[in-house]
Amino acid sequence: MAKAKPLTTLDPQAPAGQMARRAVYTRLDEMYSWSTGVDVPYEVRGLHNLRIAAKRLRYTLEIFEDVLPPACRAFADELAQVQDELGAVHDSDVMIALLRLCMGSEDAGLAYEQALVKAGRQKSKDKLLLPSDMVAAVLDPDVAPNPTQRYGLEQLLLKQSQLREEHYGAFRRHWHQLQARDFRRELLDVLQG
Amino acid sequence: MQQASAIRAVIDIGSNTIEVLVARCLPDDLETIEHQSTLARLGESVNESGEISSDKLKTAVDAVRKYQELAKKHGAEQILALATEALREASNKQDFLDTIKRETGIEVQLISGSAEAVLDYYGATYSPHTPSEAGVLDVGGGSTEIVTAKNGHITWLTSIPIGSGAIHDRYLHFDPATYEEREAARSYLTKYMQTLRIPETPPALVVTGSSASSLLKLAQHAFKLDEQSHRLTHADLSACEGLLGALPAQEIAKRFEQKLERARILPAGALIMQAAMQYLHINEIHVSSHGVREGALLIYTRYGDGWLEEVNGIASKRQASPAGLDAQEAQEKQQQPFAELGRDILPGYAKKFLKWPGDIRKQEDIEAVHKMRVASRRLRAALDAFESCIDPKAFQKINRRVKKLADSLGVVRDTDVMIAGLRAYQHSVAGEEQEAGVQWLIERLDSYHQQEKQALDAELSALDEDALRQQVDSCIPKGAAQHGKS
Repeated sequence: MAKAKPLTTLDPQAPAGQMARRAVYTRLDEMYSWSTGVDVPYEVRGLHNLRIAAKRLRYTLEIFEDVLPPACRAFADELAQVQDELGAVHDSDVMIALLRLCMGSEDAGLAYEQALVKAGRQKSKDKLLLPSDMVAAVLDPDVAPNPTQRYGLEQLLLKQSQLREEHYGAFRRHWHQLQARDFRRELLDVLQG
Repeated sequence: MQQASAIRAVIDIGSNTIEVLVARCLPDDLETIEHQSTLARLGESVNESGEISSDKLKTAVDAVRKYQELAKKHGAEQILALATEALREASNKQDFLDTIKRETGIEVQLISGSAEAVLDYYGATYSPHTPSEAGVLDVGGGSTEIVTAKNGHITWLTSIPIGSGAIHDRYLHFDPATYEEREAARSYLTKYMQTLRIPETPPALVVTGSSASSLLKLAQHAFKLDEQSHRLTHADLSACEGLLGALPAQEIAKRFEQKLERARILPAGALIMQAAMQYLHINEIHVSSHGVREGALLIYTRYGDGWLEEVNGIASKRQASPAGLDAQEAQEKQQQPFAELGRDILPGYAKKFLKWPGDIRKQEDIEAVHKMRVASRRLRAALDAFESCIDPKAFQKINRRVKKLADSLGVVRDTDVMIAGLRAYQHSVAGEEQEAGVQWLIERLDSYHQQEKQALDAELSALDEDALRQQVDSCIPKGAAQHGKS
C-alpha cells in the first residue's frame, strides 16, 4: 500500500478553510498519480493504491466537511462508490491469488510452498497481497486438498476470474464517466468557488 | 462474490400496509420474484389510541409469518424486516417488536424517518431511466419523505410525520370528504411544507408509495391516460382529487379497481402530493412503484450486514437540521485557526475508535471488528490531516499504536469477509465436488481466522484505552506551532 504524502506544510495558525483545501488538493493529486494504470486490467497493485488514495481523499473531504463547501459531499459519495468498486476488484484479486497458491502448491510440492512462506516473511516496502501467515495456514501440507476438493477449488477460481472481470469492467466504466465529466476540475471548481 | 445474485426478501411494516418483496439481488439491480401486500393500517390504531391494538398486532404477526414462509419458499438467503412511522409513534413499540421476534424469530429494525428517506431514494431511483438530478417524494401512510440529489447522490433529506393515513384520520371524516374538510387539510399541508426550508428544489421528482401508484392507476382508468406512461401532472392530480371528492370510496374501489381501504385514504394521498408539488414548483411527477423495500435490498446487497449503519450514516449527514451551521457560523469556522479545528475534532475520532474493543472481546456484535477498523482508518486520516499541528514524537507514538491495531483488525475482518463470501458461494453451487473444495478452503481460513482473532483479542486487552484517548485529546496544544517540514 502506498504511503500517504505527509501534510506537514499546513500552517496550524492559518485559516482552517484554507488549509483544508490544501489538504484536499494534495490528496486529489495523489489519487490521480495512481490513475495511470486504470486501463490495464491486471495492474493489481496500481488499482489497489488507487483505491487507498480515493479513500484518503474521501476521508479528507469528510474530516473537513464543516469548513468546505457543502457541494463537496457529492464528491465524497462518488469516491465512496469508486472505493467500493475497487474494493470488489481487490477482494477478487486476493481470492484468486490464494486459489492460485493452493493449486501451485499442489502442482509443485513442498519447495514451492516453503519458498512462498519465506518470501512472505521478507521485509517489503509494499505489503504482499496475502499475509504470509494466511499462506502458511492454507498451504499446510498435512491438509492438502484431495482431488475432489481440488476440482471444487478450480471451479471457484474460474468463477472468481469471471467476477473479477465484471467488477473491473464496472469500475472502469464508472471511472471513465468521471473523467468524461472532468471530476477533478469539478471538485477544484467547487473548492475554489 | 456469489452474493451478487442472491435471493433476499424484505418485509416492510408500514403505517398502512405490511408488504413483502422477494427478489434476486445485484448491487445495482433487482429482479422481483414476488411482491405481496396486506393493508393492515397499523397507523389508524396509533392515531386513535397512541398504541397498536391487539387486533392489529395479530394481523401483523400473521402477515410477517406468512411472508416469512413465502420468502423461505423462494429460497431467500436473508429476510430483512423494517418498520416505519406507525411503530416510531406507538407507545407499545417494544412489545410489538418483541412479539414479532418471539412469534416468528424475525428481528424487525425500527428505522428512523431519515433512514427511510435514504432507502426511498435508492429504491425509487435505481432504474437507469431515472434522471440523475431527480428528487424523491415518498408519500407513506404515516410519514412523508423528501430527498434531493445531485449526480445521483443525496444532498438533502427530510422526513415529516404526515402521511396519507394520518391526514385522512385527522381531517377527512366524511365519505366522500367534503370540500371544507379537503380545504382544511390542504391549508395545513401548505403551511407545514413552508417550514421545510429545502435548500434547492429538484428539477424532476420521482414519487413513490402506494398512494402514488394507486393515483396513477386511477388517473389511467378514469381519464384514459397512457397506461405505459408513469407521469402525472398537477392537473391530473387535481382531476383525481375532484373525482375522489365526488364519489364514495366504495364506488371508487368498484369502478377503478382499487382496494376499498386504499380508496378511503387516497384523497389524503392526493392532497399531500399536490401540496408537495406546489411547494417544490413542480408540475409533473414520475411515479415509481419502487421505494423503501427495493432500497433496503440494494443497500444490503452492496454493504452486507452493515447496511443499516451505512444508511444511518448517509441519513445523519444529509438530514435537514435546524441545528445545522448557518452561513455566519460556517464562515467563522472557516476562519478559525487550523490547529483549533484539529483540537475540536480529533477527540471525536478517538472516541469512535475506542467504542468497540469491549464488543469485539465479548463477541456481542459480529460487525464490531468492521466498525472499529473503519473508525481506525478515519482516526488515522484525521491524524494525518493535522500532522503539522502535532509534535512529531507524539504523532509517531499515536500513529504507530493505531496502525498496529488497524492492521490486526484488517486481517481479521478481511478473513471474515472471505469466509462469508465463500459460504454464500457454497450455498449457491450445485455438485458435491464444488462444495467440497469450497468447504476445504473455508476450514483452512477458519483456522487462520481463529488464530488471528485470538491475537487481536490479546492486543485489545493490552490496550490502555484511557491513555490513548488522553494522548489524542491533548496532542494539539493550544497555540500550536508548525511541526514538520516547512
